[in-house]
Amino acid sequence: MMEQLPWLILLLPLVSAATILFVARRVPNISALLSTGSALVTFVMSILFLGFGDDAVVPAYPWLWLGGTLEKGLVLEIGLQIDQLSRGMMFVVTTVGFLVHVFSLGYMRTDDGKARYFAGLSLFMFSMTGIVLANNFAMMFVFWELVGLSSYLLIGHWFQKDSAADAAKKAFITNRVGDFGFLIGILLVWAISQTVNFDRMETFFAGNPEVGSGLLAFAVICVFCGAVGKSAQLPLHVWLPDAMEGPTPVSALIHAATMVAAGVYMLARVAFLVEASELAAHVIAWVGGITALVAALMALQQDDIKRVLAYSTLSQLGYMVMAVGLLAAEAAMFHLFTHAFFKALLFLGSGSVIYACHHEQDIWKMGGLRKKMPLTFITFSIATLSLMALPWVTAGFYSKEAILAAAWHESAPLFVIAGFTAMLTAFYMTRLVLVTFFGKARTEHAAHAKESPPVMTLPLILLAIPSVIAGLPFFYERVQATAPEHHGEGSMLVLAASVITLIAGAGISFWLYKGASEDPLRIKLLARKFYIDEIYQGIIRVFQDGVATLLSIFDRYIIDGLIAQLPAYATASIGSILRRLQVGNLQGYAFLFALGVILLIWITLFNT
Amino acid sequence: MLTLGHYLIASGLLFSVGFIGVLLRRNVIIIFMCLELMLSAANLSLVAFSRYNQTAGLPDYNGDVLVFFIITVAAAEVAVGLAIIVALFRSRQITDVTAMNSMKN
Amino acid sequence: MPAYYLEVIVVVLGLTLLLVEAFVPLGDRRSLAWLAALGIGVVLCLSFLVSTPEQAEETGRFSALYATDGLALFYKRIALLTTLLVLLMSADYRKILHQYTDPERPQSQAGLGEFFTLPVFACAGLMWMASATDLISIFVSLEAVTMTFYVLVAFMRRNVGSLEAGVKYLILGALSTGFLVYGITWLYGITGQTELSAISEVLKEGAVSKTAALFAFALILVALGFKVGAVPFQFWIPDVYQGAPTPITAFLSVGSKAAGFVVLLRVSEPFIASELISSNVITILTVVAGATLVYGNLAAIPQNNFKRLLAFSSISHAGFLLMALASTPAGGAISQFSISPVSAISFYLAAYLFMTLLAFLVMTLVRTQRGGESIDSFRGLAKTSPFLALTLLIAMMSLAGVPLTAGFIGKFYVFLLAVNQHHYWLVALGVVGAAAGFYYYLKVVRAMYWEAPEDTSAPAIEVSMPTKIALILLIVAVFIFGLDPAPLML
Repeated sequence: MMEQLPWLILLLPLVSAATILFVARRVPNISALLSTGSALVTFVMSILFLGFGDDAVVPAYPWLWLGGTLEKGLVLEIGLQIDQLSRGMMFVVTTVGFLVHVFSLGYMRTDDGKARYFAGLSLFMFSMTGIVLANNFAMMFVFWELVGLSSYLLIGHWFQKDSAADAAKKAFITNRVGDFGFLIGILLVWAISQTVNFDRMETFFAGNPEVGSGLLAFAVICVFCGAVGKSAQLPLHVWLPDAMEGPTPVSALIHAATMVAAGVYMLARVAFLVEASELAAHVIAWVGGITALVAALMALQQDDIKRVLAYSTLSQLGYMVMAVGLLAAEAAMFHLFTHAFFKALLFLGSGSVIYACHHEQDIWKMGGLRKKMPLTFITFSIATLSLMALPWVTAGFYSKEAILAAAWHESAPLFVIAGFTAMLTAFYMTRLVLVTFFGKARTEHAAHAKESPPVMTLPLILLAIPSVIAGLPFFYERVQATAPEHHGEGSMLVLAASVITLIAGAGISFWLYKGASEDPLRIKLLARKFYIDEIYQGIIRVFQDGVATLLSIFDRYIIDGLIAQLPAYATASIGSILRRLQVGNLQGYAFLFALGVILLIWITLFNT
Repeated sequence: MLTLGHYLIASGLLFSVGFIGVLLRRNVIIIFMCLELMLSAANLSLVAFSRYNQTAGLPDYNGDVLVFFIITVAAAEVAVGLAIIVALFRSRQITDVTAMNSMKN
Repeated sequence: MPAYYLEVIVVVLGLTLLLVEAFVPLGDRRSLAWLAALGIGVVLCLSFLVSTPEQAEETGRFSALYATDGLALFYKRIALLTTLLVLLMSADYRKILHQYTDPERPQSQAGLGEFFTLPVFACAGLMWMASATDLISIFVSLEAVTMTFYVLVAFMRRNVGSLEAGVKYLILGALSTGFLVYGITWLYGITGQTELSAISEVLKEGAVSKTAALFAFALILVALGFKVGAVPFQFWIPDVYQGAPTPITAFLSVGSKAAGFVVLLRVSEPFIASELISSNVITILTVVAGATLVYGNLAAIPQNNFKRLLAFSSISHAGFLLMALASTPAGGAISQFSISPVSAISFYLAAYLFMTLLAFLVMTLVRTQRGGESIDSFRGLAKTSPFLALTLLIAMMSLAGVPLTAGFIGKFYVFLLAVNQHHYWLVALGVVGAAAGFYYYLKVVRAMYWEAPEDTSAPAIEVSMPTKIALILLIVAVFIFGLDPAPLML
């Protein structure tokens, strides 16, 4: 029974999704309870799962045999990876997942598509679990795509709204761009190492350190493309802010804590690949660092509460990717672990605010919510402090410190970028809290806001606890999170840098936004997100107008005319000649039969 | 003295006569008879093989058994075949195979 | 339970059905078809209780005549499943059948009983073919099946097409029987044996005339090539498929072909294993496979009759299957990077069963309720009967070999085999054929989804409950085995 437990964790959400889809669809309340129940059970099971040793044997099932053997060839199996990395990640996924389910019970109480929503959540839990537990690239890719699908369904939950439908499409297509590279990367790694199984791959690369360095670097960068798409790194980050069109609990679960972390998780899973190629590691580190900085800059001037958080997520993911590139995968996973809790809390807190303000998301139309929603305010502030990395008392401090220390050891420019980003983080988060919760209520809705029901505040309180203590060994060791061995023991300089940036960022922000009723800063470049969306639009238009014309000419005359039509015509005319053989006359057939017999005997006897 | 070769040549000729008959004759009944001739040719060589593949002074009876099966099957084939031919004649009053060409290409 | 009980039960079932038809007053004789289908279904379940050769400890003469290995059981199940679905189709086909057997009396059900019973007997023959390992039992079982099919093809005795198809099948079938018998005679003559295992030993020793052995093989290949629809013995297929009642066409194209292939596998095995002649045998199989691929796929392109299209499709699939057979490594040694041709062919045939019967089930419904067999009759089916259109779409995708369907995996294995044996010409022809396949299969899809129906007021096609269940199960099978072929691998 126990060895089947990971399979149960994987399959239970699928059963729940299928049951809702086929049976319980018409009874939304039962669907919601079913989905939440399955989330609770998987949460409990993943706590049991923490007790598994690394040598636990979980049955694997052969899947697709395409030639060769399991060790060397085209054989796919469905198997589960049981190690500290997957156990710790499962804890994060199921904890946040369960709390988001509970929160959704309140947030989506009156939604018409409630059953569909919960089916989507269950499907997402299934796919995410699949990514975490997959023991080979092929299986991971399948679930990777499934995650993309369920994210599409959930972002587009309110598909009646054009913006939501567009955002869902954008997320899906942008992810597909990254996945295309990912798939090529998987195939290349497969070709190099002859296996898709992570363990065997690691053994292979350990045994053949010099194998095809140029090709390997290319392969690793292709694999990284997958992470760029899913973890929304520059230049494929554009989908994540738009994805905030989805229901807020979805943003908390998928677009803050779990799915976007899948890219980082995947990179940590194949950290041996990154280590094998120095060039790829540099690319990854710099992409991460630049994403962290650029996203933080964009966050400075956003007015939508969720968008601020979205850009903040981008920025934090940039930190993690950078850490992977700096060969500090433990630091990245540690930050992923703490970030999952406080960012989910921030999103759920913003959901609570939005719910109280009748789906108002503009922070300048809020204000003064501190007194009306004390629980939300306190928990939100705790998460904010954790994100800002308040020294020693918050979880975020320890993990960010680990990343800064890694940057300090490996690369001075990246350390400067990371430090500056930390300052920006403190700045925009202080701004967010000041504008939303302090000052006077600036609209009717804000003035009459009430604290959310307990079903929503309870998850907030529960998430606030790990937001504070997740950085402490007694907690993270118990839940087997991956953490660097010497975190927080970076040089005094690192510590000083993080304290100074925190004070500077928060101080400037406090001075600027204290009591402000409109934004004193107007930096259009940042508010418009460096015009990246517009640039993409322009590129797409150029493609459509210019390149597409060229392509169409090529398509019409070369592909269609020369390569398709000509053989099509040839085969069709051969076909018409061949059909003439079908004379319809019995004697004719007998003659052809006789000819065939003579031909056959002749070839058999005399032609070899 | 007759050898195995003589029988085989006779059988081969019989088979060819049958086959050529199928190719050249137009009456479906005659074609059917020619088909039976081909089966008989096989029977002839089977018996010859059986006679000449002797073990311990006895013919190899496997061949003879096969002959009986072939005769039985041929009889059944005639029963079914003639019924179909009769049904065709009743509906179209033809026995000429060249007239049967409503489906082609 | 010994395996031959299955055949006995099927024969008894057939006799019982005849008695029931004669003595029990049935209001609607379709219940006979459902009864038969039920019986066949029970036998299908029983086939999973059959003891393996090790358990049965069969010795002596009988085990040499009758194989009870996994291969035999696999093809027995294919035969049973095909018969089951054909019976369901036959029940749906009653209206057309009546129109062409007894049109004067509208209430008459004459002939229906036989139409529902004969497939059961054919099934027993097919099952026996799967186990036959002796030339005598191969011949007798093959003829038992063929003769049943003569009757079934010509069953609509007031329909010129059906009768004509019957006569063509009869004459050409009997011709091929002549070659089979003559080939068997020669094989017996040079080896002195009728059991395949004994023949294999004689051929391996090499103490036979090479020419005579090859002559015997060529003659047998003529007959078996005729059964499976290999070029140049495929001419009967389009006409007979078009003329025969649709359920019988389905039966021919799946059951008869599968049984033909298992016999071909068993008969060609001793020849390929013999060093003396294996290279010649492989050459001739390669030539036949290549010709079949080209003919089946290219001649299918200009077809406008859906049933005829499926006939050419059946030839083209025979080409892919022969391609796998021709890729048998000489001596039978299989490298770890390859797959045995037997497994590849068996999987392909099982996949072929699912997708072809899916297409025929839909076609029977369209034929009986929309009254036509041309591709035009399928126009706008997506509007009037979306479920049937989707079903046919899935069948066509699998036949064309779109990934995630069982048809894709089947083709993949065939190509894998051919590449491993370095049959690059065959691979090239196969690729051209598969590409042409996309064109002609999707022709139907285009008619269903992009063209307006001929008669917009036509009512939606009714689907009876058993047929609906069968359709859904077949769709599931197409996808399940497209995702995970392992359960169907021998």
